[in-house]
Amino acid sequence: MKRARTLGLFALTAGIVACAQAQQDTARPPSLVSLGEALVLRGKLTEADSVFRLAVTRAVPERRSALAARAELASRRGNAAEAARLAGSIADEFERDGARWSAADLVAAGRAYVVLGRDDAQSLRAALRAFDAAVSADSNLIEPRIRLGDLFLDKYNAPDARASYREALRLEPKNPRALLGMAEVLSFEGSPGTTAAVRASLAANPALAPAHALLARQHLDAEQYDSAAIAAGRALAADSSSLEAWAMLGATAWLRDDSTAFARARAGAASVNPRPAEFYADIAEAVSRHRRYAESERFGREAVALDSASSRALGVLGINELRLGKIDDGRAHLTRAFERDPFHVWYKNTLDLLDELQKFRTVSTRRFQIVAPAAEVDLLAAYLGPLLEEAYDSLAARYEYQPTTPIRIELYRRHADFSVRTVGLAGLGALGVSFGTVLVMDAPSARDPGSFNWGSTAWHELAHTFTLGLSAHRVPRWFSEGLSVLEERRARPGWGADPAPEFLAAFKAGGLLPVSRLNDGFVRPSHPAELGFSYYQASLLCEMIEARWGRPALVKMLQAYRDGQDTPGVFASVLQTTPNALAEQFSTWFRQRFATTLASIAPWTGNGPATGAFASTLAEAHSLLEQKRAAEAKAAFERAEAMFPDYAGPDAPSLGLARLARDRGDKAAAVAALARHTALDESAFSANALEASLREELGDVKGAAAALERILWIAPYDPALHARLADLADRLDDRARALRERRAVVRLAPSDLLEARYQLARALARAGDPAAARREILQVLEAAPGFEKAQGLLLELRKQPQGGMP
Amino acid sequence: MIAIGLAALLAVAPQQPAAGATHVLLVTGLSGEPRFATAFHAAAASIYDAAKSRWIASDSSLVFLAEDPAKDPARITGRATREALAAALLKLGTRSAPGDVVLIVLIGHGSGQGADSRFNLPGPDATAADFATWLIPLAGRTVALVNASSGSGDFVALLSAKDRIVVTATKSAMERNEITFFEHFAKAITSEAGDADRDGRVTLLEAFGFARREVAKGYQTKNLLATEHAILDDDGDGKGTAEPGATGDGALARTVAFGVAALPSDPRVTALVTERRALEAQVDALRRRKSSMDSTAYERELERLLVEIATKSAAIRAVTGPKP
Repeated sequence: MKRARTLGLFALTAGIVACAQAQQDTARPPSLVSLGEALVLRGKLTEADSVFRLAVTRAVPERRSALAARAELASRRGNAAEAARLAGSIADEFERDGARWSAADLVAAGRAYVVLGRDDAQSLRAALRAFDAAVSADSNLIEPRIRLGDLFLDKYNAPDARASYREALRLEPKNPRALLGMAEVLSFEGSPGTTAAVRASLAANPALAPAHALLARQHLDAEQYDSAAIAAGRALAADSSSLEAWAMLGATAWLRDDSTAFARARAGAASVNPRPAEFYADIAEAVSRHRRYAESERFGREAVALDSASSRALGVLGINELRLGKIDDGRAHLTRAFERDPFHVWYKNTLDLLDELQKFRTVSTRRFQIVAPAAEVDLLAAYLGPLLEEAYDSLAARYEYQPTTPIRIELYRRHADFSVRTVGLAGLGALGVSFGTVLVMDAPSARDPGSFNWGSTAWHELAHTFTLGLSAHRVPRWFSEGLSVLEERRARPGWGADPAPEFLAAFKAGGLLPVSRLNDGFVRPSHPAELGFSYYQASLLCEMIEARWGRPALVKMLQAYRDGQDTPGVFASVLQTTPNALAEQFSTWFRQRFATTLASIAPWTGNGPATGAFASTLAEAHSLLEQKRAAEAKAAFERAEAMFPDYAGPDAPSLGLARLARDRGDKAAAVAALARHTALDESAFSANALEASLREELGDVKGAAAALERILWIAPYDPALHARLADLADRLDDRARALRERRAVVRLAPSDLLEARYQLARALARAGDPAAARREILQVLEAAPGFEKAQGLLLELRKQPQGGMP
Repeated sequence: MIAIGLAALLAVAPQQPAAGATHVLLVTGLSGEPRFATAFHAAAASIYDAAKSRWIASDSSLVFLAEDPAKDPARITGRATREALAAALLKLGTRSAPGDVVLIVLIGHGSGQGADSRFNLPGPDATAADFATWLIPLAGRTVALVNASSGSGDFVALLSAKDRIVVTATKSAMERNEITFFEHFAKAITSEAGDADRDGRVTLLEAFGFARREVAKGYQTKNLLATEHAILDDDGDGKGTAEPGATGDGALARTVAFGVAALPSDPRVTALVTERRALEAQVDALRRRKSSMDSTAYERELERLLVEIATKSAAIRAVTGPKP
């Protein structure tokens, strides 16, 4: 069926060519170029080339467009020399007398320079100039605007691409290529609405192969393999020469372990270009989006082997080497990519970041390499090292699996740097990313205090290392994220996501995704809140599975994914259930888990905050609080808390109750309320600080220290906080903790560094290290011989050379 | 401990200071916004209080001119106008004698550049050229002019002279953003935090170093690019230094200190203090030789001297009792 149809198309094309040849004397040359373009869109590259050649031979008015198209075709088929020759001839002509060229010819010049830009980056500047000149020459011409958008997007410059496509759409609102361009921009930015935008493009031109290919990529990223294959097939039906479509088909096949289909896709790509580096580069990118970084590196290497001059191949290889922790190799390949393509934002940003990374320092623990800016690595490692070691032991026991070590974790004090390390650009919303045994995250200094918990973030990312490793990186996104959030919750009280009222309201409205489509919530959320909902929902699903089937089921599921089973297969083999049945079970479990709260929350409309009895009671409580009607406010807060005991938002009832208790002088009640809140909210900076103070006032030194300890995972940079914790540790005779805290104070270079170092010397002595104490105090006195407290300590230490201080 | 105040003791550690009285002129300029007015006043008031209570400056040697004298009449002696500033410096020129120290601290906003660099005041501003004229009668005194205002950097080239320390909050007139130097400088010169060597006195060099470090840390903590870089000139070459030291820029600032030194009345204590100072001088000399010495020998000698110093201190405390 497929073969017959192809023959039919070929016959049709041949007829068109013959017809076009017959028309050569009738002075209707524009149709030749139009015909050629139509053939290109259908993947009839040989026939298209014949038509373009004819147009050039006949010296038709659009011959430059035809020549540019021939150069593009040669490039697409891997004939770089021919592409350069053809494009060079246009460029030469343009440089002689381009100033007088028509807008269409200027577009042709721009296209030629884009082809030349593959080997000569400066040609890309010329391409931009030519397209801009075309726009100036004919402001109603849509083609140069689309070409500009394509060029910008190719260099990861989404804002300029968007502006160009928008201009094109202003001229022609339903232009399919411009609509597709906008969809590509949305996809690039990870913004919601990509799929809808692609569909708009296909509505304008159902045979637009790149749009089908983009749809295939969307499905593939959401791990919807059947849909991806169908979309790629449609792209190829429209244009059998689409390397991107072959790549999507190949990536789909490869991710499904379908070697026959993969070989077919590879052969299809080779039929277009005998050395299809782009095909491998596309697959490398696709599989890296499935977190298969090692395989992505292998595909990148194949791409480079096929075309060592391809900046894209070099770039994708370098980026994935960096993700695997092969910093030197990654830098070398990225440098080569950047030399060939100096306008590529990702390469430039990443190389800049690597320069910055050279100023970082590494602190090693038994199984981890902690890499952070030199000024703060010692401080962070003092807390993170023990936490990661604890997490490793805990996760290794739970998953019966030990990832290879060392595991590298990089912390960036600028969120933009973390973002560049992850996706090449600033603006990524995430806090951390796991590439397997390379973890990357924001340092606590990257965000305002109280905005995130860096301990739970590190634990979350390390959990990915286990789930990725145990499943050979085949775990679906929803399951990996769900397990990571679940592991956060198991690590410390309050860590991990909390249920938002809107989340529960969305459940009530039937607005949560079914498990079969939960990946969509991560990859292509349909509304801004859906990503957050999906994290929490996935964690609850994992929690339910563990509760119903036991912890070993989680391990068996990961192993089943590793063995190549898809989600329905995993559910069937491990849980003896189906996705639909599991979804029903989850719904029932969910209703039981949140029974009280669901009764007080109205179904969500999809916009604005959740409504219902809880929201109105909470609002009433706050209003009463403002009116200083304390008793009534207390009662309202208590009612609200009873309705939604898990709520940990900034207006949480527990915080209101703490304030009221404090106002009436009931410190114990205030502490109890604050403790309920800090046990739910991992980033509760102010609540923990207040809890620490009140506990201290109540003589609860241990509780105060615990609250300060929690703050360290929110904001570890305040020397006064560390000094206070050190004092509490002293009072608890917890000498190791006191020493850790005194060291932290010194590392933070407080205003009074001498005093801090004196205190450190004391702590060293108390912790049983008089030699270190003596070295420290001598250094203090070297700087300040008149420092009398330090003098006294020196004399004391000399009296107790072995034993340290009591 | 019996503390007998010298009038604003000018103390100097191992390097010998020019002994003499200290005179202080504090000026807070045009604030522009209430938050600046509050911050400027807080910084100046803290220096005023330290000068009065800890440096024991006499009323006639302590002048505080401010934008709004009604804000704090107990401390503020007049409105900060160009005329009042000129008159105050003239008065200090009359009251002071060669060998005295005159500390001038300007806190506020700046503008202009070169000779036209300005310290903004209610009414006409005071320019760097004005100060160059006004400081002439103070020849022979050690003048420390701290221009802790934005865009103050060009004051250095204009006012640099022998026996004169010029500190500016910025390295040039172009650094005109809001600054924080004045707050840290005020903290340094009025508290133990600025006393790097813990000798009970804060030298101008110590105060400058403290303030500069704290400014840098403030920007680093907030992940911001620093927009103020303080400099100090005291070698008269007209070029400020960001990191002054014991030689070149910094050598004079190192000898000018603020604080009260205890003058022991007990001859036993006097002798012990004298011996301790001699040991401190030996430590200073040893530190200078550090780079040319074997590290083990250096550490051994350092510890010996420090233990001796500590022992002297213990002996002093045994007589005088512990510090309050």
